[in-house]
Amino acid sequence: MADAGPARVPTLEAIDEKFGPPEQTDQPSGYFRRMVDADWLRRNGVYATLALLIGVNVVITDNFVSSNTLRLQLVQVAPVLIVALGMALVIGTEGIDLSVGATIALAAAIIPLYIGYGAPGAIGLALFAGVVTGSFAGLLVAGVGVQPIVATLGIMVAGRGVANLLGGEIKSIRDPAIVSLGTDSVAGVPYVVVIAGAVSLVVWGVVRHSTYGRQLVAIGGNKRAAELAGLPVKRVLATTYVVSGVLAALAGVLLAARSRASDPTKIGLLMELAAITAVVVGGTPLSGGQVRIVGTIAGALLIQIIGATLIAHDIPDSTAQMVQAVIVVAAVYVQLGVRRANR
Amino acid sequence: MPGGADAIDRPANSATSLLETVGVDKSFGGVRAVRDVDFSLAAGEIRALVGENGAGKSTLVKVLTGVYPPDAGEIYFEGEPVTFCRPLDAQHVGISTVYQEVNLVPLLSVARNIFLGREPRGRLGLVDVDEMNDRARAITARFAIDLDVTEELGRLGLGAQQMVALARAVSVESRVVIMDEPTSSLEAREVATLFKVARNLRDEGVGLVFVSHRLDELWQLCDSVTILRDGRNVHSGAMADLDRLTLVSMMLGRDVDEVVEHGATEFGDSHLQGREPVLSVSDVEVRNRLHGVSFDVRPGEVVGLAGLLGSGRSETVKAVYGALHSQSGSVEVAGRRIKPNSVRGALRASVAMLSEDRKAEGIISDLSVRDNIALAVLSRCSRAGFVSESAIDRLVETFVRRLQIKVSSPRQKVRELSGGNQQKVLLARWLCTEPTVLLLDEPTRGIDVGAKSEVQALIDELAEQGLGVVLISSEMEELVEGADRIVVLRDGHVEGELDGATLSSSELLAALAGDIDTADALAQEHADG
Amino acid sequence: MQRTIQYRWRLLAAAGLVSLAAAGCTDSGDDESSPSDASGATGTEGGDDEQVVRTDVTSKGEGCTLEQYGAEPLDLTDAVVGFSQSEPDTAAFRAAETKSIREAAEQVGVKELLVTNANNELPKQISDIQDMLNQGAQFLIVAPVNSDGLDPALAAAKEAGVPVLTIDRKVTNEPCSDYIAFLGSDFYQQGQRAADAMNEATGGEGQVAILLGSSGNNVTDNRNAGFKDQVEERYPGLEIVAEQTANFARDEGQTVTEQLLQSNSEITAIYAHNDEMGLGAVTAVEAAGKAPGDDIKIVSIDGTRNAVQAIVDGQINAVIESNPRFGPLAFETAQKFYDGEAIPEDVIIEDDEYNSENAQENLDKAF
Repeated sequence: MADAGPARVPTLEAIDEKFGPPEQTDQPSGYFRRMVDADWLRRNGVYATLALLIGVNVVITDNFVSSNTLRLQLVQVAPVLIVALGMALVIGTEGIDLSVGATIALAAAIIPLYIGYGAPGAIGLALFAGVVTGSFAGLLVAGVGVQPIVATLGIMVAGRGVANLLGGEIKSIRDPAIVSLGTDSVAGVPYVVVIAGAVSLVVWGVVRHSTYGRQLVAIGGNKRAAELAGLPVKRVLATTYVVSGVLAALAGVLLAARSRASDPTKIGLLMELAAITAVVVGGTPLSGGQVRIVGTIAGALLIQIIGATLIAHDIPDSTAQMVQAVIVVAAVYVQLGVRRANR
Repeated sequence: MPGGADAIDRPANSATSLLETVGVDKSFGGVRAVRDVDFSLAAGEIRALVGENGAGKSTLVKVLTGVYPPDAGEIYFEGEPVTFCRPLDAQHVGISTVYQEVNLVPLLSVARNIFLGREPRGRLGLVDVDEMNDRARAITARFAIDLDVTEELGRLGLGAQQMVALARAVSVESRVVIMDEPTSSLEAREVATLFKVARNLRDEGVGLVFVSHRLDELWQLCDSVTILRDGRNVHSGAMADLDRLTLVSMMLGRDVDEVVEHGATEFGDSHLQGREPVLSVSDVEVRNRLHGVSFDVRPGEVVGLAGLLGSGRSETVKAVYGALHSQSGSVEVAGRRIKPNSVRGALRASVAMLSEDRKAEGIISDLSVRDNIALAVLSRCSRAGFVSESAIDRLVETFVRRLQIKVSSPRQKVRELSGGNQQKVLLARWLCTEPTVLLLDEPTRGIDVGAKSEVQALIDELAEQGLGVVLISSEMEELVEGADRIVVLRDGHVEGELDGATLSSSELLAALAGDIDTADALAQEHADG
Repeated sequence: MQRTIQYRWRLLAAAGLVSLAAAGCTDSGDDESSPSDASGATGTEGGDDEQVVRTDVTSKGEGCTLEQYGAEPLDLTDAVVGFSQSEPDTAAFRAAETKSIREAAEQVGVKELLVTNANNELPKQISDIQDMLNQGAQFLIVAPVNSDGLDPALAAAKEAGVPVLTIDRKVTNEPCSDYIAFLGSDFYQQGQRAADAMNEATGGEGQVAILLGSSGNNVTDNRNAGFKDQVEERYPGLEIVAEQTANFARDEGQTVTEQLLQSNSEITAIYAHNDEMGLGAVTAVEAAGKAPGDDIKIVSIDGTRNAVQAIVDGQINAVIESNPRFGPLAFETAQKFYDGEAIPEDVIIEDDEYNSENAQENLDKAF
């Protein structure tokens, strides 16, 4: 019966009738089990390390067990975390966004400049700056096909230049609404932390359940296969850079609100590295195809608490840098190990 | 057609061998890519090295050039045993390689490239540019190549770049030049120049190895041939002693006078009569690859695409699907022209393509079986930007059971599956899209026998349901048995078509060799005898 | 033994590099502050804080004359003068420095003043200087990006017969040959005076945390050594309990101070290597529910308007000035040079101090 027309999806009943009940096999073999161990380390290493570090601090650091410590660490980690969430999406597409620091500077520079339009207006404009830098990166990467590292490096340099030009000297921010955003709390939780939490939840939901999130992960995993499956590869890539830009701008607003000043030459400096570190330490592979939001949150917290520990025990700067280097190298090493096992 | 005066007597394995291997073996992870191969090349000889994919050509080339050390066997250079630990060792004795992809520096001048790493030095150790350019001109002039040696290499055509690579090989005074598919991206004119250069080299006593999929070129250029199949040397001899049919049958491992198989499919052509084609491909051109390919597929029909490596089979289905940029031509589905060069356009017109490269273009290995199956219908299974998990679950369960995909759970990573099950996952991905035209490029390659017959049965069934199927396979039986009709491609154009009475493996073999007349004669012979 | 130590240092340096590249936590070589000092011996007008020369440290006896330098006489009022600024004018110090040069040039009445900004990039400064030479500059004032590496630019100037005066950072080249002289502050002395001010503010007793500038920066090193040496020598009641870098940045000053206060409730005073970090500390102290300037004493260096205003507001206890207004002194030195006077290799200026007693009246002097 050769009816012309599409291959209809058959019904389960029809299948059962024809083939009998399903059987299930193809369990992971011993080879895969070994790989799973390396994989376990990559997936859960960050949580184990974080738990260990907190445990050590409870014992050795004065005043560590207190609500003030918790609040302080969460407040300080919030901007890094917000940037890292955007970065996780970009890295999920097998990209990288080096322009986040410049976007932070741009957004922070805009706040005191346009505070005349009121706090919402100034914040809106600052976030729009993130849309602009993100669109630009997206256009270069998705449209023109420039390598992400090159495209965003250009924006990193140019963006900070524009921020310097626009912002000029360091400006203090005295607008009560902005200051309150950086300082006050709701039900004992600082606004900054509430915002970071909300952003985390939204990004997590998007990655897991939105069409865009699923497409993003597929594109990062195998761009060519995604193209051949008809996914809107360019649109997804461009959107991702815009999201990263807006989140960086949001972080810029929060940083400016917290320090009540905007210093375009210094603010957000090296933030791209902190964010990338959080993402990678959190178990998202630089090779794309996976986005680990909870891991990223843990990664950001881990870096934050390491920094706090080093300061609390007055470890000199050079040693502190080495400790951070060791952690990044270890995280990358674990990833490489997993990849080798997967070969 | 030996050219030079010195090209008189060059028997294989003679004592005059310039480069020779005896009993070379090379395995990768238990797979013996090259087994017990004897190979010999004389000075002033151009030897063709041919074989289908996986026959071991590139492994042998890499053994000869020191990229891989052989697991067993000897290599002799001018009669002396040699050991190449690194590519540099091979280069030192005078073995050069010219690859399909030019591995020179596009931003440097032609002369700079020819002398890269060996630039003539003047005072103060600086590069003596004038001297270098003069010597480069002398070298290129020897080959009657007309180009400006001060030009940036990247500004030249690919053919000219190949020529520069050859010139470099010559300037290091190579004794052996191995050319690995040098012509695959060249224009006809460029090929002619390349051959001229190659013959010049031969006349100067250099030994050349020529790897190509373009059969015509072998007789134009080569003196002798070595045929590999499944890692073994199945034939060595003079080029002139072979005709196309014999060569092809040795490459594919089929006897010329193999008995004609049963005819077309179970259900004759009758049911197809009078139906409008569901897929109509006209004059599709892809630069250097396809030169006006046309064919039709009717609903319920399985059309095989046959051709040797490099004939343009995969390129044809990719161009139809919009995954390979075509310069002209049109594709109609059910009478409506689809947007050219757009995968999404093709998918919207209910065309689906299973790529031959399962790993690079098919599965997303980090994702689960479920996500891989649902990939092409993600947006279809979404509402307001969010994925309907239940809709996907339903689809996935349906196809996992329908295709008997063996998984511990739909959430299992696809990379943990066997090749056959991965292939079924991909088939499921495309069937989810409810296609009317299914393009299948090597659907059974690299999967186990059980899965293979299941896939073949599935193809039959899909055709019965009314799909138009285009089937590519390098296995002749699969084509002959599975297809209602076979379109034979050669060098990027349609060479002929087999159906009904002419649909047999010997006919196909002859057609692949580019000799439809022989095929007819064969058929006649069988009918007679 | 020797070898082991060397090896260790190398390892340390390598690891430091890696970490810088990987996790990048510091921002080396970008000092925001600068030299400074006090006002005008030669007094000029304006409410501005004119620089005063503390010592003509004539280390080489006679100093550098026009003749020794081998330059042609020049009438500054008819000359094209070039100024190469090192860092973006977004930093208050740099803005004040550039402004001061511009104003002084106008007052002297030079024919034309060319101004470039290297944005903290050495290669750009070299090409900036070469550009200005091409545009006909006859005298150059350079705020070097770095102590090393300006050689090509200095050589080009020498070849063109154009004398160079360096301000605020000293180069390692040959004085009176590659450049005339160096005008600037004594960063070590600034540190010592900060210790004095800290003693004053705390009454001699306190647990002090130090906010360091960028690592590997001579301003950081000198301001830190001066402070610590002075404390050790003179103020046994001051105990240094923490030293952490905050890279001369306000937001880092804030986050680092927050952490320090959280983990060490004993801290009673903060010494910041520049005003920005000091202002960050003010915000952090407030956030911890304490009173800056009172519960926690704060001393910093630079003399920016925001910091001096913070003294007026009672949040910072003292600021050691680092005077950026090199214009008058630079042109005055140039004039002396062309008048045939000998210029000493180092012209060190005198820096002021702001504290609760003089901040209000001197607010206009802050930059």
